[in-house]
Amino acid sequence: MFFQTLKRHFDIIFYRTVAGIKSEGRQRYLGYLWFLLEPILSTAVFYLAYSQITGAKGARTILLILIGMILWQWFEGSIMVAAGSIKAKFHVLNQCNLPKYLFPMVSIAVHTWKFLCVSMVIFLLAALLGHPPNAYWLYLPILFILQLALIASIAMPIAIGVTLWTDLQIVVSSIFRMFFFLSGIFFEISSVPESLQRYFFWNPMAALIDSGRAIILRAEAPAWGHLTPAILLTLLMLLLGALLHAHYDKRILKLTNA
Amino acid sequence: MTKEFSSSPTPDPPAPTPIVTLHDAGICYRPLRSLFNKKAREVWALRHLTLQLNEGEKLGVIGRNGCGKSTLMRLLAQIYNPDEGKVTYHKKNTHIELLSLGVGFEGNLTGRENAILSGMLMGKTRQYMASRLNEIHEFSGLGEFFDYPVYTYSSGMNVRLGFSVAMETNPDVLLIDEVLGVGDQVFMEKSSKALQEKFQGNRTVVLISHSPENIKKLCTRALWLERGAILAQGTPAEVAEFYKNNVHNYTK
Repeated sequence: MFFQTLKRHFDIIFYRTVAGIKSEGRQRYLGYLWFLLEPILSTAVFYLAYSQITGAKGARTILLILIGMILWQWFEGSIMVAAGSIKAKFHVLNQCNLPKYLFPMVSIAVHTWKFLCVSMVIFLLAALLGHPPNAYWLYLPILFILQLALIASIAMPIAIGVTLWTDLQIVVSSIFRMFFFLSGIFFEISSVPESLQRYFFWNPMAALIDSGRAIILRAEAPAWGHLTPAILLTLLMLLLGALLHAHYDKRILKLTNA
Repeated sequence: MTKEFSSSPTPDPPAPTPIVTLHDAGICYRPLRSLFNKKAREVWALRHLTLQLNEGEKLGVIGRNGCGKSTLMRLLAQIYNPDEGKVTYHKKNTHIELLSLGVGFEGNLTGRENAILSGMLMGKTRQYMASRLNEIHEFSGLGEFFDYPVYTYSSGMNVRLGFSVAMETNPDVLLIDEVLGVGDQVFMEKSSKALQEKFQGNRTVVLISHSPENIKKLCTRALWLERGAILAQGTPAEVAEFYKNNVHNYTK
């Protein structure tokens, strides 16, 4: 019975994800192409601004920004949409006895699918611009799984928090804006003063982005030590998320004014 | 104060098997307050509610708007936990489901896909729903539209699909909130007939209604809920009569 329920929840997430991808694809004239165009456009904006300021130009800079951009958009997009997803599905949750983590999971799955699509473009572009696949690419799935775990672990407590206290959404989005600039999306951590670098690597997203670049651009293994904070934060947030969901699952709708 | 009617509908009733028991249960809504509106908004929708729901019985719940009927349904369906008191489910894995029409339909999916998705939200597995698709298709009378995306549906077609799906979920305890038939004349007749069939046999049903007549017709036991507590309970005929005669005393 337990596994049957688990399977049913998995099926719900799967179907909802397919529906989510379909509806995003059908909302605009260019449809699914936006999955690819959106990160490319924002990369173009940052490349134009950044190359004018620093003079760093060329294919490597484009790839550098693109890698940072898609990893960040996967992270931020998933969490921000997951944060509002319990409230958005209030009417469904008010009719059916469903665990509250289902809809945040759907938001994450939709964004992960978008990320996987656009990462194909990166691989292709990297190969075309002089960074062909190397053996270290085999580490990429490990990095992706680690980032997915990080995303899910942060999204779960935030989804409960935002449902109880909507103001948190604004706070979280401001914090994300700050980390956007601290995660080395349009610069490399190696370009900041050496004395500051170790602080930068305490930020899990900075470490994940740098690891991706190490593999694709520098053809070297990621510095695994830098990923320790990501793993610790993931475990901590998973625990917090599990506690919050266990406590609020049957309570949260009574405490919400949706 | 609860009005209890002593007469029993059958002279020699068999010992009932409880399926859910509420013991002194209470539900409280505490929505978020704003810095600029500090009025304490704590609403007890149910208070000190003790109720035993027996296997196979058809319980009718009557009461005015805002008396806690829907909250009671959500408590029984395990969507809410009680803030006070205790709820006991006597059998493990009892499937209790609120009858809801078209909840969670995704406009971009077809009627067929939505039937499966919606059934899963209501506690059924994907395989089970897939095996019931022909029945759902036929009952809905949607014809070829069954394979069109739901956003192309009229609101009537939407309810038809929703109702057809709900009819296939067959929970152990069916909770019905005021829905007794939907759609145009033809589908209304068909749907209310199908729903009334759910009252046959050994299924446990809880029906919320504003209509004393429906309660009298469909239920085996009835209670009147007023301000989150039971005001009267007994046979449907007794409670319906009492409700009709006294409801105006409670309207301000």
